[in-house]
Amino acid sequence: MWLWFSKLGSPRWFYELSSKWLPWLYAAMIVLMAIGLFWALLIVPEDYQQGQTIRIMYVHVPVASISLACFPLMAVAGTITLVWKMKLADMVAKSVAPIGAWFTGLALASGAIWGDQIWGTWWAWDARLTSLLIQFFLFIGVIALRSAIESQDAAAKACAVLAIVGAINVPIIKYSVEWWNTLHQPASSFSMDPVAPNPPEVWVPLLIMISAVYVFFVIALILRTRNEILQRERRSQWVIDLVSREKSV
Amino acid sequence: MNKPVSSHAGTDISTWQAFCATLKRDLVIALKRKNDLLNPIMFFLIVVSLFPLGISPDPVELSKVSAGVVWVSALLASMLSLDNLYRADYEDGSLEQLLLSPQPLYFLVLAKNIAHWLISGLPVVVLSPLLAYMLYLPSEAYWTMVLTLLIGTPVLSLFGSIGVALTVGLGSRGLILAVIVLPLSTPVLIIGAKAVTDVMFGLPIGNHFALLGAILALALTMAPLASSAALRISVN
Repeated sequence: MWLWFSKLGSPRWFYELSSKWLPWLYAAMIVLMAIGLFWALLIVPEDYQQGQTIRIMYVHVPVASISLACFPLMAVAGTITLVWKMKLADMVAKSVAPIGAWFTGLALASGAIWGDQIWGTWWAWDARLTSLLIQFFLFIGVIALRSAIESQDAAAKACAVLAIVGAINVPIIKYSVEWWNTLHQPASSFSMDPVAPNPPEVWVPLLIMISAVYVFFVIALILRTRNEILQRERRSQWVIDLVSREKSV
Repeated sequence: MNKPVSSHAGTDISTWQAFCATLKRDLVIALKRKNDLLNPIMFFLIVVSLFPLGISPDPVELSKVSAGVVWVSALLASMLSLDNLYRADYEDGSLEQLLLSPQPLYFLVLAKNIAHWLISGLPVVVLSPLLAYMLYLPSEAYWTMVLTLLIGTPVLSLFGSIGVALTVGLGSRGLILAVIVLPLSTPVLIIGAKAVTDVMFGLPIGNHFALLGAILALALTMAPLASSAALRISVN
């Protein structure tokens, strides 16, 4: 177990392993995305209240769920950086920040489009929208701090501290805002019952879309992390070898 | 970590003595630099008086937003004065001495944060009824506003301290401190301002105080730890 752990910390090992994973991930994403989008956009019946706009859910919910997962992920990576000084963890933490900011932005944007149709307004100072907006600011803060500190090592640790503090704060922000003002509907539950408010024909494609977008997120994270590895290890022999091999091909 | 107080005073002091010494030192320095002491208060006054100019002099409209205006201004004033917290100490090297001291850094950072609150937070709390009067806050909400500020502004100092500690080593910080600190401060702002607004409508406010108190307790126990870690990273 510990051997595996220390191996995982090695950027080179991760780079080589992820090269093997990536084709499978691409394939999984294309299949899931194709099925999910086709099902969600063309087959799912219209909602009796929301009509066609219900299809926005199949983009909004996956994106929003990932945006919520990014901050804890960054905090976990930051903790590993601080405790075990694992290089790879910081590369992941650095890579996840802009992706998290993007997904948060996308969740806000898709939510705004949906909100315009359903609530009749692009923006409302509703609890979930506001807490997502503040989370977006927190991501921007982490990215800004990273770019402001020149020393890579100090930047890694400082961002780790900020990510942990932010992750503790995210639920506090969420609850304080929720209790401040709520317009957003609570998350619906999944049910097998075909006459329930959410029958399987509605939520199965949603699950497929969520997994598709998750795979996309993992791919984006791996690609960013690989770039980071190459950039940081550019002086090490294996990267030089790799680049010269790529050039000769 | 408490060391016994030896007869050789000054060579080996207890944590409590170190805490008091740090607190006293920061207060003395602040009292000697009158500008640093006055600027946050002046800033608070000016920002609050900008709102009637920008919104409307109408008492009805102003009284509606008064709680939020006072709270946002207090938040901004606290942030503006954060720079004093570690900056000068970092530049003259006394911050390094603080980090090198055998005392637990948690208590020294806590002392500095308390000093910062006494210098920048407390005057804002004391001044707030005057500004609330100028903004036509209904008189039944005065005490709630003072009390929420009294509980809330220490949290602002404690959270802000993390942000300053993270950025103290940077040459050009610009607005990065605000970008880091302001989102972290939103829960306090929301609950504090909401409590004042609710009391204006005659709603119960006990839960607001419970939440504010909980956040203060959390900040008191956790934030100095984060600040200490951040200081050790920034001062290398």
